Amino acid sequence: MSAATAPEIAEIGSLRRTLRDSGLVAGRYLRVLWLNPGRLIYPLVQPLILLVLFISVFGNLAVRGHPEVGAYRQFLIPGIIIQNAALTAPIAGLSLLRDAGSGLADRFRSLPMSRAAVLIGRLICDAIVLAAQAALLLITSLGFGFSISSGLAGAIGIVVIAVAFGLSISVASAWLALTIHDAETAERVMYFPSIMLSFVSSAFAPVAFLAVWMQPIARVNPVTAAADLIRSLAAGGSAAGPALLLTAWVIVLVTIPGILAVRRWQRSP
Amino acid sequence: MSQSKTVPAVEAVGVAKNFGSVTALGGVDLTIPAGTITALLGPNGAGKTTLVRIIATLTKPDRGQVRVLGIDVVQAPAQVRARVGLTGQYVGLDDALNGRDNLMLIGRLAGLDRRAAQTRAVELAELLGVADALDRAVRTYSGGMRRRLDLAASLMTRPPLLVLDEPTTGLDPASRQQLWEALAGLRADGTTMLLTTQYLEEADRFADAVHVLRHGKIIASGTAGQLKDKVADRVVQIRLGRPDDAAAAVGLLAGALSLSQSQIHVEAGSGQLTFGVGDGAGADGADTLLRAAAALRSAGVAIADLGLRQASLDEAFLALTGAQS
Repeated sequence: MSAATAPEIAEIGSLRRTLRDSGLVAGRYLRVLWLNPGRLIYPLVQPLILLVLFISVFGNLAVRGHPEVGAYRQFLIPGIIIQNAALTAPIAGLSLLRDAGSGLADRFRSLPMSRAAVLIGRLICDAIVLAAQAALLLITSLGFGFSISSGLAGAIGIVVIAVAFGLSISVASAWLALTIHDAETAERVMYFPSIMLSFVSSAFAPVAFLAVWMQPIARVNPVTAAADLIRSLAAGGSAAGPALLLTAWVIVLVTIPGILAVRRWQRSP
Repeated sequence: MSQSKTVPAVEAVGVAKNFGSVTALGGVDLTIPAGTITALLGPNGAGKTTLVRIIATLTKPDRGQVRVLGIDVVQAPAQVRARVGLTGQYVGLDDALNGRDNLMLIGRLAGLDRRAAQTRAVELAELLGVADALDRAVRTYSGGMRRRLDLAASLMTRPPLLVLDEPTTGLDPASRQQLWEALAGLRADGTTMLLTTQYLEEADRFADAVHVLRHGKIIASGTAGQLKDKVADRVVQIRLGRPDDAAAAVGLLAGALSLSQSQIHVEAGSGQLTFGVGDGAGADGADTLLRAAAALRSAGVAIADLGLRQASLDEAFLALTGAQS
């Protein structure tokens, strides 16, 4: 056996190596999904059931004072799409936490691979699931009378918004889960921020209709930004404000918890 | 290659690590020459895994310096990782994937291109006897097959240093044998190996050098042969008919077997005596046993029970700590 073969692969830490290794890690998660298609049933069916439930319970409420929104359904559906992304995001954190305590994590830590690839690879897999969920929700919503005035481009935009929002919450969840460290505690805690974010926002009611103490929080909430941005794509109206707020949130949530999560991962127990 | 022959595979100086108030390593010096097999022997909690994890860059030492093939593990961990294959205490595989997917993923993350990884995966699977199972999900593998696939994963890039943390723990004797045969093949290829084990016999059989760890310190080092001379691998155990005869019995046994009285362990009150067969009494266990019985019998000391058994690891360590102080 000869000495270590010098592989002609980009240097660790370079962008090319990070992308390559992230692709390999994403390939691992996607291969597992491919071999176990049953794992996709729940993430793809549950949002549709929730959509039907929310529309059936709340869909016929009239929203007073919002002349630009013809019916409450048109207002509610963007909220449901974003709420679903918020509820899907913690899976990234829980999955990384499960891996972190396994022999496979030590294997990855001992390999000369990109440190960020473990997180980015997981996010690539989640992006595909989030996109499929948003697309399915949109198509189903059309059957409930949801209209997108900006057409196919708008629909694609809505999916992109749901994925960008979902990934930024995924990164935060990765850091939170690895910080909590105990899997059982994490499973109980992780969904709470997503539920809080969804309710203290414009997801289900315009900010002006919320309890007064909620309103300042709701106005800067990324859920509000994402839901309002989808509404403006679907029904017209100003997109600049929510677009700016959402972009700011995505940048902050991806970079700071992202760096912290990768550091946490690398530090073995 | 010529450089890795002259530079030691591992050079550790004064390595210390605490976890909270627990001292895992209390200043360890260790040199592993390239091309040799070194065993770290010790009971649970001795610090073996911590030392191995520091060498494989998974844990940072609090104090001291570790160089792998001349490269500092704290200053250049990525370069060290490119030269060390780690087979951890827990199998580092994805259960949901098949054997081939696992080897491809790990090999490519380690830096191989697709074609090189494919070739190497098949080559290693054949070498380690898992070729027929490559396309089955790892969750269907037996414990022994998992270990061998895990070893294959560590070898994808032909690392000059292979680190194995308790590679045979939890394996049945047949699987253990297969794994050892695989490692013997690697030894022939010149791979430097560092392994941890709780089994004296394992360390004796396969390692060129053995270091015994206890409470985070190396308490004895030597070649397998040197260490074996120091350690009693079998003990004679005698239960006297009358516990009061213990003092007399110790004197008789020491005289008949040319042992010093301190080498015979007396369990107070029960009349139970134990001493190592290797402790200067000659290596023939049966002969020692017969001479001990004859010495006691001729003096009229009643024997309730008499036997020869394998030394426990604790007894072996006790013998070693005794030899050190």
